[in-house]
Amino acid sequence: MPLAEQPSSVPVVVDEGKCIADKGCTVCVDVCPLDVLRISDATGKAFMKYDECWYCMPCEADCPTGAVTVNIPFLLR
Amino acid sequence: MDEITEGTSQVDCDILVIGGGTAGPMAAYRAKKKNPNAKVILLEKANVKRSGAISMGMDGLNNAVIPGHSTPEQYVKEITVANDGIVDQAAVYKYAQNCYEIIQELDGFGIRFQKDENGDFDVKKVHHIGTYVLPMPNGDTVKKALYRQLKRARLLISNRYMATRLLTGKDGRIAGAIAVNTRTAEFLVVRAKAVILCMGAAGRLGLPTSGYLFGTYENAANSGDGYAMAYHAGAGLANLECFQINPLIKDYNGPACAYVAGPFGGYTANNEGMRFIECDYWSGQMMQEFYNELQSGKGPVFLKLNHLADETIGEIETILHEVERPTRGRFQVNRNNDYRNGMIEMHISEIGFCSGHSASGVYVDDNACTTVPGLYAAGDMASVPHNYMLGAFTNGAVAGEHAIDYVNEVDFADIDEDFIAAEKERVLAPTKREDGIPPNQVEYKTRRLVNDYLQPPKVTRKMQLAQDRFAETRAVMENEMVARNAHELMRSLEVSSILDCADMAAFASLFRTESRWGLYHNRADYPERDNENWFCHSILSKDAAGQMTIKKKDVDPYIIPIDEEEKDAYDKQRIKAQA
Amino acid sequence: MSAFEPFEQFDEVDDIIDRLEDPDPGTRRVAIMDLADSADPAAVAHLKKALADDAREVRLQIALALGEFDGPETAEALLIALTDADTGVAQAAADSMAELKDPASADPILPFVAHESAFVRAGALRALRELKRPESLKPALDALGDPEASVRSEAVSVVGYLKTEDALPALMAMLKDVDAGVRRTAAGALGFSVTAAAADTLAQALSDTDWQVREVAAETLCKVQSPGAIPALRKALADDYWQVRQKAIRSLGKLGAAEAIDDIAPSLDHDISNLRKEAAAAMGEIASPKAVPALEAHLDDPDPDVRKNIRWALGQIRAE
Repeated sequence: MPLAEQPSSVPVVVDEGKCIADKGCTVCVDVCPLDVLRISDATGKAFMKYDECWYCMPCEADCPTGAVTVNIPFLLR
Repeated sequence: MDEITEGTSQVDCDILVIGGGTAGPMAAYRAKKKNPNAKVILLEKANVKRSGAISMGMDGLNNAVIPGHSTPEQYVKEITVANDGIVDQAAVYKYAQNCYEIIQELDGFGIRFQKDENGDFDVKKVHHIGTYVLPMPNGDTVKKALYRQLKRARLLISNRYMATRLLTGKDGRIAGAIAVNTRTAEFLVVRAKAVILCMGAAGRLGLPTSGYLFGTYENAANSGDGYAMAYHAGAGLANLECFQINPLIKDYNGPACAYVAGPFGGYTANNEGMRFIECDYWSGQMMQEFYNELQSGKGPVFLKLNHLADETIGEIETILHEVERPTRGRFQVNRNNDYRNGMIEMHISEIGFCSGHSASGVYVDDNACTTVPGLYAAGDMASVPHNYMLGAFTNGAVAGEHAIDYVNEVDFADIDEDFIAAEKERVLAPTKREDGIPPNQVEYKTRRLVNDYLQPPKVTRKMQLAQDRFAETRAVMENEMVARNAHELMRSLEVSSILDCADMAAFASLFRTESRWGLYHNRADYPERDNENWFCHSILSKDAAGQMTIKKKDVDPYIIPIDEEEKDAYDKQRIKAQA
Repeated sequence: MSAFEPFEQFDEVDDIIDRLEDPDPGTRRVAIMDLADSADPAAVAHLKKALADDAREVRLQIALALGEFDGPETAEALLIALTDADTGVAQAAADSMAELKDPASADPILPFVAHESAFVRAGALRALRELKRPESLKPALDALGDPEASVRSEAVSVVGYLKTEDALPALMAMLKDVDAGVRRTAAGALGFSVTAAAADTLAQALSDTDWQVREVAAETLCKVQSPGAIPALRKALADDYWQVRQKAIRSLGKLGAAEAIDDIAPSLDHDISNLRKEAAAAMGEIASPKAVPALEAHLDDPDPDVRKNIRWALGQIRAE
């Protein structure tokens, strides 16, 4: 059976104006226990690639520039 | 990004520690400290910096045995009674004797415990008999402090490698493990003289009521990989039918923290604002009382703080919203909840395996040895009951220090190249398919079935139906599951662990034809406790033919006797606990 | 990560420091994070030097990074950041300084207890508390007279952690401080003393205008083990705040104060079940037969935790 792509609203939001991933920072990607964040090849900024969030917050807490916000996933909000 | 890359590398070491959460770092650190010349590798599926159950720290110790506040003997009694007598006391006793030294070491690492104005540990009385609760109002620094020590010790840390199977020699000894990189799918074969499993709870077994796969009580990365790996290596697993179920904030699925709010005067109440829990220590009995109230006309259940002073609530908020699960505060804001104005709705968690809160774990003795020579286990996945975070640290240390002596006496066991080749093929199979069923759908279905058929109260016929459905799902997993990149491959391997755990949960639950441990093993068709036939452990394992098997094992003679009156006193507390 | 290097590589300090000269502050900032990750004590000198950076975010990162290190050189660097004109940098430095564990770190910090800035004085004292160096006593005692309450409060903590009877008169005097927070800390700090004077001071604190000071005093009185404690605690059972009464009851229970049974008994009828539970538990600890009628009259309390404590208390009394 072929696969479909379904939309999903992801809880982690990155402020690209503040993110310094393009300077070599990988803190949020490193600290995520579910490994769901990546650095975009297109923008050089961090983003949430997989909607598999435990909303635990190290990405937000450890971000040096305050660029990351963790929201509560919609399904349990 | 996350493309599949072919490749294998191999390394040798004295000790391989798998899992960089709580027990694992301590096991590796203590082993290296005892023998700085040894080669110790710490392997972690995520990144040791923030991995595991204590990713964002911990708000307190629930089971600190500190001189002047409680004694090891008292603690052993309490745990024995809380676990309905099914306890090999030696391991619990060793924990109770060692944990104060571990607290002091953690304090030296810069992990902050609550102290009074004279700098002494500020232990709080929550339980009826002993005094074991040591708050950690700044407990968000735990992992940071731990990681600092690992770096200083120059331990070999291997992040983003997920172990998939243990390797055993022809003589049955441990030989190492095979792991796959979660970003590239490259393999790492580690030959080791001893392996210490510290891979956490099986927390992604049941499905949270929200339906969100990753909204679990446990860190969702803890998918039961350690239970599955120990099983496939032939190790015995103890009392898996003693599920973990925890009280939670409804929907949020983070703990509601009787241990945090308790010392401040908060408590769990029914819809009338009244306490209803009779049982003292956190146990299956307490969860049964919780469940009964939830199902009754006085349900649901709430966290009640609104009788406390404003200043006190402010202090509780600071802890609940900054440590362990800090998004809790955000959740309450979304719901317009204020602890001052009303009570907060609570619920029970999905089921899981976890000895940290109950007693389901890979069987270990008081040296953290499993039934496979050279294989150790510690933390939430090892069978020492009601262990919590401090148990993981303490028993991790026990495992590391025992293993470092053990490796002096042995050489590498042979590794089986055919087994490695077959394992690589098994792991990569989902990447070889063009289309099929993605891992998230296989996982959702498995966990939905777990909820439908295995959640207590347990019913024989339902659990048998579960076994049929699991077998069908397994056939899909083995023949149709598709992974398009290395990340999905990690998820597909986790699904395999989850399904193994689901099968073990059903098998173990069917074996014990009595009810025990309150809600954890409440069997609707065997409602009574049967000490005559079932005052024993159950040990599940894989037999020589590769089939699941289970047997009884006697409870070791008690070191600390429990007299009849103490058992009675406890039984009297459970008057209204029957379902 | 290549297939042949599966282990985390912590960069060598020398390979990182070139990036500290980069014109882009973002790049410099990432270099600071890498220095922290190196866990190499050789990084501290570079971090200290880099505190001259023009960009506040780089200095902030340094203040955070220094929290990964320990010892006098780290303390010296943190003291520079503590006096930074940017309050964010200074606050981060204060937080990192409180993480120091090496007692030798205290040496460079001691003179800063007399710094012109109250923020720096408080930060220095906060760092000294955990280091527990006897040399901290004199500057901390001096700081008890500081015009700023935040500084006095930290000074009381430093003195309290040192647990020396010599400092007792000074600590007791702090229970007359104008600031309630200072008085609260001071009340807790008297817990190490077993002198009658400390007990008297705490007994007086049971009449403090601030309920949280009274609460701490009631809680601490059972530690000082003085006969004067019991009459004072009995009086505290008339406090307006049930929280204060609860702590007083707990202390009376721990002290085994049989003469307080009649004073405790009315709390078995209070609306707040926390208080009823504490009263029952204390009666069990005191284990006096005098408590039996009151306990038996409340065996059907609506709260199961209270009932459980009553049953336990009756058991304790019968066992005596």
